Amino acid sequence: MASFGWKRKIGERVSKSVVEQFEAEEERSEGNSEVDRDEEVDWLHAIKRKKEILLEDCAAKSMRLKEEGTRLAEEGRHWEAIKKWDEAIQLTPDNSLLYEMKSQVLTILHEVFPAVKAAELAVKFKPLFWEGWQTLGRAQLNLGEVDLAVRSFQIAIHLCPSERSLWQEDLKWAWTLQKQQLATKEKIRQEEETKKQILNAPELEQDYDFESDEVLAACVAVAERQTHYEELRRTSVVIDAEGNVRSVVSGEEGSQDADTPAKEEFVKARGL
Amino acid sequence: MLIFFQIEAHDDAIWTAAWGKSEADGSETIITGSLDDLVKVWKWSDEKLELLWTLEGHQLGVVSVDISHNGAIAASSSLDAHIRLWDLESGKQIKSMDAGPVDAWAVAFSPDSKYVATGSHLGKVNIFGVESGKKEYSLDTRGKFILSIAYSPDGKYLASGAIDGIINIFDIATGKLLHTLEGHAMPIRSLTFSPDSQLLVTASDDGYIKIYDVQHANLAGTLSGHGSWVLNVAFSPDHTHFVSSSSDKSVKVWDAGSRACINTFFDHQDQVWCVKYNSNGSKIVSAGDDRAIHIYDCPL
Repeated sequence: MASFGWKRKIGERVSKSVVEQFEAEEERSEGNSEVDRDEEVDWLHAIKRKKEILLEDCAAKSMRLKEEGTRLAEEGRHWEAIKKWDEAIQLTPDNSLLYEMKSQVLTILHEVFPAVKAAELAVKFKPLFWEGWQTLGRAQLNLGEVDLAVRSFQIAIHLCPSERSLWQEDLKWAWTLQKQQLATKEKIRQEEETKKQILNAPELEQDYDFESDEVLAACVAVAERQTHYEELRRTSVVIDAEGNVRSVVSGEEGSQDADTPAKEEFVKARGL
Repeated sequence: MLIFFQIEAHDDAIWTAAWGKSEADGSETIITGSLDDLVKVWKWSDEKLELLWTLEGHQLGVVSVDISHNGAIAASSSLDAHIRLWDLESGKQIKSMDAGPVDAWAVAFSPDSKYVATGSHLGKVNIFGVESGKKEYSLDTRGKFILSIAYSPDGKYLASGAIDGIINIFDIATGKLLHTLEGHAMPIRSLTFSPDSQLLVTASDDGYIKIYDVQHANLAGTLSGHGSWVLNVAFSPDHTHFVSSSSDKSVKVWDAGSRACINTFFDHQDQVWCVKYNSNGSKIVSAGDDRAIHIYDCPL
């Protein structure tokens, strides 16, 4: 069997724009070197200097691309803005602001997963950048990752607690969602327990001596379980004013029909 | 010198720690608070840490913890705006105080351990009674969000550091604002008094540490050395040293007299949010985003 492997394209990881930049520099410096070919050239320092020039130009070009992207984003040309910023990222891969802005625009475009990815890079390169954490939290919320969003908002607040929007909009909302999610989980758990209660009936499987008290005991047990089942069915999970998850047995309407299935259950027991 | 470390002490970043000594039996306790909503109580004995209690109750990350001066009670505050008081012997919650939205940040016990002070977003320092569990009074800086709070050991002053870099010093007896210092232009994450209450050391996001003469409100020195935000400072009980931690992942020990950095620990993998001395100044505890607690030995 042929073995599977990831193909690595040559030059795949080399950024196009950096190469272009580099080639342009190369041409320019070649022109220079022809002039002073006769003279002694300090190659070691010449190469070093070239690198410095290149780095500086990358930063300047990245800045220009960033601003172009910002203008495009403001005009609503989101994909074009992202293209500009991607080019800028190629030139300055550790500028967290670029990732943060990209993430915001990706969120507008409903590209939820790439938005999270971009924001993650923003906080990776600059962990003290609270706006980055806020953007990450919002992106995570869009992806449905409520727990992660709550965590990101908390980190943002810890870095900049005076930012009211973090408290009043982001954390508050995400926290409410988190609690609702917890409540839903609790409800599902209860429903499953209810199902289990009705399916497992160990006393029904036993071989009873009908003369003894065991029958009575079994019937009592069945009835008890039935009541418990009804209770569970009527229980609803709510979030109270303080945001705590509570189980509440809802109104009286359940009490009437509670008797009927209990009777059926007795019939079943007798039938055995 | 790093003498002990506890990795994965919490499930998430550790934001705060305190070191206390019980007056009753002399045992040493370290408590830590984390983004994982938990407060953990550790016993420091035989040169190692032992988990005593895991205190559950806070619903969001724990921002600040402190231990009362007799070592019996711990206070913790979290992003859910609750301040909780815990009995360190039993590991039980004594009180839970709702400080109101956004109104619980740094907590500090008064030297007589009767009060807990906390900063608020409107620039008020709220003082809660430990016995009553209620807000007793408040000191108004008329400033911005208060990030850091410290009582002077003699109980005369209370200093607060705000997010805009303003430091306020109050006279506790009269409740009057004594001094307003515009020392830093960026948030003040931590401040600490010297044991004789004469000096105040402040740490800021601008990367500098400043030393003030409390009585005359004079700037006595500006120290640089950290490569990023200075997140925490603590004065040594030996009166001659203080320690700082930073988001540049380092912990630095400084000589208060010469104002020189005498030691740098680069043992953490991530931002170091808190440093504290033990009761005699022979050890330092530090903890941070890498979820680890480190204990250092510092020869006196």
